[in-house]
Amino acid sequence: MSIHSTGTNAGTTAARRAARPARRGWRKAVKSALAAIVASTTLLSVSACGLGGDSANSNAADGDTVYIAAIYPATGQYAEYGKLFKEGFDLAVDEVNADGGVGGKTLAIKYYDTQSDAKQDASIAPQIASDQSVIAVVGDYASPASSAASPTFQQAGLVHYGFNNSASTFTDTGDHVWTPQISQEQYQKANADVVAKKAKKISVVYIENDWGKQAYDFFKQEAEKNGTEIVYESSYLSDSTDLSPILIPARDAQPDAIVDIGYGPDGALVVNTLRDKLGYTGPFFGGQETSEFLENAGSNAEGTIITGSFSATGTKDSKAQAFVKAFNDRYGNNPGNFEVTAYQAIKDLAYAANKTSPTRDGIQQALQTVTDFPLYQGNGGTFKFNTETRRADNIDPILLIVKDGKFVQYDPDTDSASN
Amino acid sequence: MIDTLFSGVIHGSAYALVAVGMSLIFGVTNVANFAQGSIVAVGMMVACQLGGMGWGFAPTALVVIAVTGVLGFVMNAIVISPLEGRKPIAALLATIGVGQIIDSSLQLIFGTRTRPFPDLLETYNFQLGGLRFGTSDIVMAITAIVLMAALWAFLTYGKAGQAIRATSQDPDAARQMGVPVGSIRNLSFVIGSVLAGISGIFVGLFNQSVNPMNGGTIGMTAFVAATIGGLGSIPGAVVGGLALGVIEAFGISWFGDGAHDLITFGALLLILILRPQGLLGGRDSVHSEPMTGTFVGEARPLFLPWWGNLLLVAAAVAVPFFASDYISGVGTQVAIYAIAAVGLTLISGLSGQTVLGIAGSIAVGAYAVGILTTRQHLPFLLALLIAGLVAAVVASLLTAPVWKLSGHYVAIATIGVGAVTVAIIRLWTPLTNGSLGISGIPMPRVFGQLLYTQQMQLLLDVIVLIFAVAIVSRIHRSQLGATFAAVGADQDAAESLGIRSGAYKALAYALAAFFAGIAGGLLAAQYTYIDPTIFTTTMSTLVLTIIVLGGMNSPLGAVLGSIILIGAPELLRVAADARVIVYGLLLVVIILFRPQGLVVRRRAQ
Repeated sequence: MSIHSTGTNAGTTAARRAARPARRGWRKAVKSALAAIVASTTLLSVSACGLGGDSANSNAADGDTVYIAAIYPATGQYAEYGKLFKEGFDLAVDEVNADGGVGGKTLAIKYYDTQSDAKQDASIAPQIASDQSVIAVVGDYASPASSAASPTFQQAGLVHYGFNNSASTFTDTGDHVWTPQISQEQYQKANADVVAKKAKKISVVYIENDWGKQAYDFFKQEAEKNGTEIVYESSYLSDSTDLSPILIPARDAQPDAIVDIGYGPDGALVVNTLRDKLGYTGPFFGGQETSEFLENAGSNAEGTIITGSFSATGTKDSKAQAFVKAFNDRYGNNPGNFEVTAYQAIKDLAYAANKTSPTRDGIQQALQTVTDFPLYQGNGGTFKFNTETRRADNIDPILLIVKDGKFVQYDPDTDSASN
Repeated sequence: MIDTLFSGVIHGSAYALVAVGMSLIFGVTNVANFAQGSIVAVGMMVACQLGGMGWGFAPTALVVIAVTGVLGFVMNAIVISPLEGRKPIAALLATIGVGQIIDSSLQLIFGTRTRPFPDLLETYNFQLGGLRFGTSDIVMAITAIVLMAALWAFLTYGKAGQAIRATSQDPDAARQMGVPVGSIRNLSFVIGSVLAGISGIFVGLFNQSVNPMNGGTIGMTAFVAATIGGLGSIPGAVVGGLALGVIEAFGISWFGDGAHDLITFGALLLILILRPQGLLGGRDSVHSEPMTGTFVGEARPLFLPWWGNLLLVAAAVAVPFFASDYISGVGTQVAIYAIAAVGLTLISGLSGQTVLGIAGSIAVGAYAVGILTTRQHLPFLLALLIAGLVAAVVASLLTAPVWKLSGHYVAIATIGVGAVTVAIIRLWTPLTNGSLGISGIPMPRVFGQLLYTQQMQLLLDVIVLIFAVAIVSRIHRSQLGATFAAVGADQDAAESLGIRSGAYKALAYALAAFFAGIAGGLLAAQYTYIDPTIFTTTMSTLVLTIIVLGGMNSPLGAVLGSIILIGAPELLRVAADARVIVYGLLLVVIILFRPQGLVVRRRAQ
């Protein structure tokens, strides 16, 4: 009761105030704010250190350890990928140091949890950029988050190595933004080509985000070139839990195959809905090379074909095989694409630092000039960067098929899985 | 066609089950419990764990009931009941904090990965047309209906049920009639939580794959379903759940799942406009308005003398000159959120209208700057001003039909408006580039100077913030501000004095949207990349929480709130894994111990 009466009092008081004539002072408020700002700005710009930023005010740090900063999702909705990345990072950095470090210094990683959230990436980026012991940055999981941090690193002359960012616009921010990730254009070309071998009419669903949209555009272009007819298409939101409304028409369009372009958990949802709920028995292309996908899709995953950059059991490259063994010894399971790209990112940067110097400039220079980065993905060997696009030039996607609950390399020409 | 209808009914019964618990808590305890979805996730994850270990359905369900029951009791005892007698909005915001704590704890306990839900019941052993379904779906639908009937009977005829209703109608009167109000409130929360837990089992069976972070979406959809059916009406929750399931199934089938949010929240807005009390809601099914209210009646903002303001301005402007890159980077975020929050004090503070969709306006501002600077090559400051105006116009157009509603229906409608705004941005590809986002937004250039360091951007943000605070403070003290306050403090009294409260709320909302749009514009220029996933419900609640913390009607408080809530997650980096939990705890503790906000004085009684 007491609250109500207080409210009434306040109401009438306020209403009485409302009845008073407006006083002048509008202009006064703005004017005085302006005056105060001008006065203090003038005062400060003559007295203080100015707005040039930390890098303008400090020298490179000296020390026995240099750092790579990792911006990655340790918590939040993408935390599963963060975990996979960290396994790759940790293994790589230990190996680099066992081999003598970088230019006589020890290499270490400073981890920053961003939840792959653009807001947090933008917040943490300046701290990393101003830390002169950091010689390069790797991450983040998703392109929007990565891109929110890029301008700061670009500005600080710090290499941003977005090893997981396949978005085709990712490197547009500036000459210090690089990615060794195979572009979606290449991935989806390979994807559409293998689909064309099995089907003339297809239904396609894809995840509604920047990655999915771009991937599907590339897929569609190649499918048209191949003469594959797309009889149904729809995107889906990543947090949708019932996809029957789009998968029923996808099934009823009577395609030769159904294609999903997405991540792991949603890929499992699509194939489970198709097989369990809608009784679809035709070929399925989709999913993600993670144990999360395999576990959730279970036996429904059998026979699905996806593109990837690495197969732990299929790789013929000796250093990649050594990596698989080391990974297995340490973590008790085979590495997948996320682990290998994270591992390779650290190896690439260490290789770059050893070719030039373990400094920010050294890394940038090496990425521009070194032509024989050791390649663990694809068919192995080495790779170099295209200095125009700042993307890896010669990493080829491979095909993976689920056989007996595991992803193994797939050879489309002989239609066989190699174990 | 038949398949689509039937799949909609099955999905709808999952919604219905969760919505029943939601509606019970809302109607009976007068608390809009935003942690309800998180409790559903608790039930789901516990069942997943036990089922995975080979437990059967019955023992699993018993443990879920026990765990969620205890959780409901603890939540009420520690967080909700101490807030009794305060404005219900305090309880609402506290539940947001509790939800964060539960979500993060679940993630720490169960890990981050999506996992398959064990087949506690058969899931695909029947077939109808081209659609398979299972015992689980049948039991789920029956459970929803049985629970509905049992609850109705309990509330109508049961002694404790009658006491629950009496308590919700008038706790003082109930106490005088000998109802043990404290225990009754505990009972309501325990029942609500147990319902959530049980529905978690069925949602898990339905979804097949579960993740500890699913709670937020489940809760929000159930809230929409409960509103469509009629908040506070238990049969309405079932009808609303089924209706939403079927609407979504056909809508998505026709327009694709990319339009999912537009369909869900569009349906919400439509029902609010056409039949605000919902399909089955009576006009009086909710006794008070858990989603409105202001703390203005209990406290008044601190306004500093002129020299105090001058000192503050000087100090704020000084920060960029002395701050490191890191502090400046965090500072820009703090300042940008503060700008949005300062504007929000006009509508949610002064005018007493909770707004839960301000991210929509921030998104419009961000996109306006993104599009105007990359395609029209407008100067930054001009684009920023236009961004504010566009955000205000869009917000006014989208909310125009809702101001004839009253109380918490407006608050709910703002959730819909926020979500629909972002959904339209996502779908309007020719203008906005859809999900691909807009990249390459130039860093701000002001009077010929490119702001290329964090310090320079912070200086810009701080100056804009100072203007925002000056203008908003001025509005607070103007006749217009007094009118807003009159509407907020007592809408009926204001109406009786001839103040058209709907029109003034619309104006206050447009002003808030203007500042949110400016904040969005600054954000776009700082990120240089924007896409629709940045502007989430979480962003909306964050801005609202900032002003709750600072004092709902205090512009200076909004700045302080932003420093604490945006700065804190950065400071809490030392706590690593637990940082989101600590953040939630902080929110709850502040609401418990200083619910009137930080920068206010208690009004002399």
